[in-house]
Amino acid sequence: MTNSVQTYDNQSEKPRKRRRASARQRSEWRDGYMLVAPALILFVLLVVYPMFNTIYLSFFNYGLTDARIRFIGANNFIELMGDEVFWRALRNNLTILIVSVIVQVGVGLILAALIDRGIRWGKSIARTLNFVPVVMSAVAVAILWQLIYDPTVGLANRFVSLIGLDPPSQGWLGDPRIVIYSILVVACWQYTGYVMIIILAGMQSVSQELYEAAAIDGATEIQKFFSITLPSIRNVNIAVILITMIGAVKVFDLVYILTRGGPANASQVMGTYIYYNAFTVNRAGYASAISVVLLVFALILGFLQLRLSVRPREAA
Amino acid sequence: MKLRFSTIIVYLLVGGYTLLVSLPIVWMFLSSTKTVRELFSSPFALPQEPQWSNFAKAWESGISQYLVNSLIVTTLSVVLIVLVSALAAYALARINFPGRIAIYLLLIAGFAIPVHTVLVPLYRSLNSVGLLNTHAGLILPYVAFGIPFSVLLLYAFFLEFPSEIEDAARIDGCNIWQLVLRVVMPLSLPALVSVVVFQSVFLWNEFSLALIVIRDDALRTIPLGLTKFQGQWSTNWTLMLASLSMATLPVLILFIILQRQFIRSLVGFSK
Repeated sequence: MTNSVQTYDNQSEKPRKRRRASARQRSEWRDGYMLVAPALILFVLLVVYPMFNTIYLSFFNYGLTDARIRFIGANNFIELMGDEVFWRALRNNLTILIVSVIVQVGVGLILAALIDRGIRWGKSIARTLNFVPVVMSAVAVAILWQLIYDPTVGLANRFVSLIGLDPPSQGWLGDPRIVIYSILVVACWQYTGYVMIIILAGMQSVSQELYEAAAIDGATEIQKFFSITLPSIRNVNIAVILITMIGAVKVFDLVYILTRGGPANASQVMGTYIYYNAFTVNRAGYASAISVVLLVFALILGFLQLRLSVRPREAA
Repeated sequence: MKLRFSTIIVYLLVGGYTLLVSLPIVWMFLSSTKTVRELFSSPFALPQEPQWSNFAKAWESGISQYLVNSLIVTTLSVVLIVLVSALAAYALARINFPGRIAIYLLLIAGFAIPVHTVLVPLYRSLNSVGLLNTHAGLILPYVAFGIPFSVLLLYAFFLEFPSEIEDAARIDGCNIWQLVLRVVMPLSLPALVSVVVFQSVFLWNEFSLALIVIRDDALRTIPLGLTKFQGQWSTNWTLMLASLSMATLPVLILFIILQRQFIRSLVGFSK
């Protein structure tokens, strides 16, 4: 510090001022670091370090109860490429992602539009009731739906009989061809209200004058929806789609409680397959390799969401 | 106002859909007060005689302990999350120090990391420091994983904090801790409440980490406790549903009371 001050010319005033300013600045810096430190230390120890540790462990043959770990290079990843269950899990995540985006965002958008502009009475009660599943724990939701899906006396069977269809003979969660869709029904039931709430908040900030002007021009409600509402909440829609996609990549609780990934791995997703390998069959190294794949997907989606959320605010 | 045909259709759509979505929850609460026979014979009828004993039985079978555990873990975690996140968010938003932007980006990038990708290293670390199967071993990762979202939300709020108040506090001789803890935080209650509600609901329901950290039955949080009943009461539906109702009621009540703050935190998240 003192060295750099001496390089200034002979005007004795200048370095002094600088030194004084920098002393105050340094005490301010110290305050900043002190305040950030607790969060930063916890975060680095319990999130950042484990993340790199996962990447490291993915190159080892290692189980949680093993005393030693053995470096095996990229073998876990090579095995992964030929592992049918892994591909099934990945495909299931993708199915969940696509169906969730279409159903949750589609229904959430329509529902929000109807609540926002279609009805006058009961707005807040409709909003609240549709949101209740969101605050329930996924474990409670999954157990509740396990009873609803009961193959002999469940409500789901009664419901389809009521509309004149036959319930699936192997049960809603026992048939490998439909199990992932049965889980999706539960996921959509739980999270559509979440999408609806966020979109509805976006819609409520659209200027009423736009609608009034359109009404003078004789626009119908449907025309207003496509030419005013949708363009005005474009960013909200993109954010909601990304949030839904991130949720689909992360899904674990619902699948774990409803099926444990079964029957015969038919409903395995990356989250449950990681858990299965690490904690059921003692292959933590292999689980770490799956985790790295999941991490890549999650980071890409997270990065997209951050760009979306940080940019406008910094510009503003 | 003239009642048009299209208006009626819209009401029927919204009402019908909302009813359909509510049915499973209505069924859950109704059934939890019935006898097993009633539950199957008339699923949507009111109970002939409310069986409050279902709740009593579930309460005694361990739900009370799980609720207490969840209350302890959630409360301590949320208090710590709010404290460390508020301090960090304040520094990042109001103090100009080298590395500020890098730290901010690092902290909020963390929200993209799914907890399942770090279960193995967390299990190892907690095991090596003897925190496996303790509430502290659950609380610490909860706090760490709660930081990104909370910092993001509080940072946005602190950016707009009036600097006149800061200056006045400085002139009164406040040091930085007093400034943040006694002046800034009390004046930022709306933002803090949003964080508290969001994190409380999230942590009350958290399952994945609890599943790997907690082994002892006596330490289970409510979602983990419910999984025990899943096997034990697979045929005793009324007790199972009474347990689910008891696990849901606390967050439901919290949500209904603080609905506005909760929704605001979600909307802030999506912006």
